[in-house]
Formats: sequence, C-alpha cells, structure tokens
Amino acid sequence: MNFVSNRRHFIIGASALAGATVLGAPAVLGQAKPRVVVIGGGAGGATAAKYLAKEAAGALDVTLVEPKTSFTTCFHSNLYVGGFKTFEEITHSYDKIVSAYGIKHARQMASAIDREKKEVVLADGTRLPYDRVIVSPGIALKYDSVPGWGQAHEEKMPHGWMAGPQTQLIRRQLDAVPDGGVIVMVAPPNPYRCPPGPYERISMFAHGLKKAGKTKSKIIIIDPKEAFSKQGLFQQGWERHYPGMVEWLGPKVHDGLKSVDPATMTVTTGFETYKNCAMVNVIPAQTAGKIALDAGLANPAGWCPINPDNMKSTIDGNIYVIGDASIAGDMPKSGFSANSQAKVAAMMIRGELLNARTFPARYANTCWSLVAPDDTIKIGGVYEGKPEKITASSTFLSKTDEDAGVRKQTSDENIGWYAGIVADMFT
Amino acid sequence: MVVGLQRMRVTRQRFFAAFALSGAAALAALGLALVEPAGMARASTVAGKGDKAFGEYLAGTCTTCHQVTGRSVGGVPPILAWPEDQFAAVMKSYRAKDRDNQVMQAIAGRLSDEEIYALAAYFGSLPLQPNIK
Repeated sequence: MNFVSNRRHFIIGASALAGATVLGAPAVLGQAKPRVVVIGGGAGGATAAKYLAKEAAGALDVTLVEPKTSFTTCFHSNLYVGGFKTFEEITHSYDKIVSAYGIKHARQMASAIDREKKEVVLADGTRLPYDRVIVSPGIALKYDSVPGWGQAHEEKMPHGWMAGPQTQLIRRQLDAVPDGGVIVMVAPPNPYRCPPGPYERISMFAHGLKKAGKTKSKIIIIDPKEAFSKQGLFQQGWERHYPGMVEWLGPKVHDGLKSVDPATMTVTTGFETYKNCAMVNVIPAQTAGKIALDAGLANPAGWCPINPDNMKSTIDGNIYVIGDASIAGDMPKSGFSANSQAKVAAMMIRGELLNARTFPARYANTCWSLVAPDDTIKIGGVYEGKPEKITASSTFLSKTDEDAGVRKQTSDENIGWYAGIVADMFT
Repeated sequence: MVVGLQRMRVTRQRFFAAFALSGAAALAALGLALVEPAGMARASTVAGKGDKAFGEYLAGTCTTCHQVTGRSVGGVPPILAWPEDQFAAVMKSYRAKDRDNQVMQAIAGRLSDEEIYALAAYFGSLPLQPNIK
C-alpha cells in the first residue's frame, strides 16, 4: 500500500470515527498509520524506536524487534569489569519506553528482510509489513579471524564484546587470576566497535589486579594495529598507575599472532609464546550484524554504506542503517554515535512519512575512558553530512599534561553522561 | 466597526506574543519568578527569538548529558528554564572558548547565533520539576 499523503488518510480516519459511518472499522484506521520496524534494541535501535514513537505521538506504528527484555550496555561494561559499577547498574528494561510511547515489542530475532515485499520476517515466521525499516543490529564477530579460536572457545577465551553474560564471565576470570598470572588480550583490527574500548578494559584489568594486591601479574596486548585510540594518554596512565604491569606490542614487535590454543591457554606470536595464561581475552575482527549482511545491505568488507545526510542505506531507499553496522565516516562505532544517528534517522523518517519538519543532520560523539579511579580521558567531536562521508567539523582530545582536577572532572562527566544517555534511551 | 476590528487584531497579536515568551518569563507570569520581573522585561529583546522546534531537534545532542527532566548527575548542570539571554551568553562564551570544557567548546563552536537562540527557546520552555535531584 502506498501513501501519497499520510496526513490525509489520518484525517479521514478520525472523521470516520466521529461520524461512525463508512470507514468506521478499526482495522482500516489501523492500516492508515505508516509502519516503521526497528531491528535491534541497542543504543541505536532503542533510541530510534523511542524518538519515532514519542515525536510522532501516535501517528506512526512502531515495532521494535529485539529478543531481550532488557539491555546491558557495552559502554560502561568495562566499569563493571573494574568493579566500579554493578551489573544491574548497566542493565535497563525496555518496559518504560514501550508503555509510555506505545511501541510494539516483538520479542524475537528478525531472521530476514524481504525487501521486495517490504516485510521483516521474524524467527517464528511472522511477517511484519513496513514502510520504513531502521536496521541497528550492532556487530557480528568473525570467529574465524583468529587462528585456533572460534565460537566453541568463547567461554574459555571470552571476547566480552557483546555485553551480557560474556561481560560477567570476563569479570569472573579476572577475579580468578593469581598473583603473577599473565593476561593476554588479542586486540581487534580496524574497523571495530568502540576504538578505545580494549584499552579501557586493559586499565580495568590492571586496576582489579592492583586492588587485589596482585601486582606481580602481567597484562600483554597483542595488537594488529600500529597505533590505537588515545594511545599516548593510555600509555602515560598505565605507567603512572600500574607501572610494570602492562605491555602493549604492535605488529612490528610481535611479528603477527600465529595462533591461540584454548586447551592449554597458549598464545603464540612471531616473537614470543605465552604458555599457561591465566586469562586470554580475544577480541576478533568484526562485521555488521548478520541480518544486515543477509539483507544485502553491506559492502564486501561487511559494513553498510549510508547517505551521510540522513543515515539512509545507499542500497535500499526504504531502509536506514545506524550504529556500529553503518559506515559513518569520521564517527567512531560507539553507543553515543548510535544514539546520535538514531535521532537523525527518526527525524528523516517522520519527514518522509508524516511531512514533519526536518533539519540538516547534526551528529556528535564523545568517548570517555576510565584509566584509574578519578582519572578519565576523552576524545570526541561534532560532525555533519558531507558528500563523501559524515565529516568532523571539530574534534577534541584530553591532554597529557592535564592536572588531576581536570581528570576528576572528566570522570564525573563520564558518570553524568551515562545517567543521561540511559535516561534518554530507556525512559 | 473598523475600529473594533483593529482592536481585535492587536489583542490577537499580543496573545500569540505571550506564547513566545521564554520559560522564565512564563514562570514569572505564574508567580514562580526566578528572576526579577523588571530584569526579564529588559531581557525580552531576545525572548521569542528562537525557533523552538529547531531547538528541540538540536537538543538531541545535549540531552545525553543534560537530562530533559533537569536531573543532575556527575556535576553536569541542569539547563532547564534558563532565561534565554543568559543561556545564549553561556553558550557564546563556550564558543569563544572563554569557558573551559572541551566537549562544550566543540558543541558550541559549531552553533550559529540562530541555533543558540533556538536551543535557548527550547530549553527555556521546559518546566522545572520539583524534587528532581
């Protein structure tokens, strides 16, 4: 069914109710509303569903397809690993936005998008017709990208790169590391979810060990990248707070990761072999979530190209892709970015379906990383759509010579932001 | 007859103008003044200047830290119901880097005066809620 002017249909529906005549059947009224399906209830999807439903005030039929009833945020999951937050503090229910804004919550996975029929197919075979879809599936892990590792080994050598039980597993394994034990992290290649995330996690490992008096322990990072986000700041922080405990090795030194062996907890590089590791955190290479790949929305590298002005897929004009799955130019793959992109996509869809007012896309991101208690560093920027990509108009980065007062204020700001973004997404 | 119609037109204009007043002026009108009414009258040169719908859209960048309920965590100040000229002055000082905060400097740095007043109008219109900590 194609809607030329949805306002006209909506008005017809309302007067039909008042007159109780020809078009009085509720089913007809229900069909008059444009339908938007949001796939994925993370930072992108939850924000998109809420903003679509809230700002449309009943004029849109919004369905959130998400199997979980609550969401554990990947952002600040490192703070849970480090003992700064409880698991409950980083987990949030969808109840409030579902009831407050009349969002339909389909509690299962989406198994396919039938782009020809314009229907989202759910795991149990139910088909949801749509006028627009927002695809926000997050990432999929490339289990075959680390020799010797795979999905069968993700309990022995966890990734912890999708928040939930994996995060709790990482915390339990950290708590069990003995004094003098070795932790090896296999860091991911670009592009990946949360550029500073692995290094904030290293900081949390070091903090946990130090707090437990296990200062003879060692943390080794085997990194396929020559450099990483906020590197100078992290390395300064590790030296300052955890001297001698953390060693980062780039590809020129380790000469390539050759394999890992979960059975013996061994990590072999071209340079050294680490045997009997107390813990091995493998963060593999990634792609956009499977549903995006299966729907033909991704490029050969596995990420989804979008129009920088509105987050619309360049492959299908009825589909928007937001968050980690999208190719968002200068924006990093982060929860803040996903939330920012979701608001743009929601606005653009209301513009298309309801003739709502739209404005030029504006995006923003800040990534805060906790290095040690009261010592937080940040990186971020503001962005706009430009012809080739979403482009930063201004960026900022913490400085190595900041005093402790600034780092404390940044730590507080990080806590304030988290309280704000979860209120923004879930209430 | 003609005189009567003219009088009606003026009244309608004043009526719509009242809606364009900033939140604090509206609060003042309700007897919940935060600032001296006389001070507000002088500041009303910018009252009603900002496009509130535009401000609501731009506020999407702000509300992840500055909560729309006015709840304040981690020292992030609430920014509801500020007189619009004061809101604009604070944002302009971040834009000029006279105030220290890298996030605010970056955000304010890309805002035009029109956008700052739009934000001032939107946040200024949000009601203060009692018992918000």
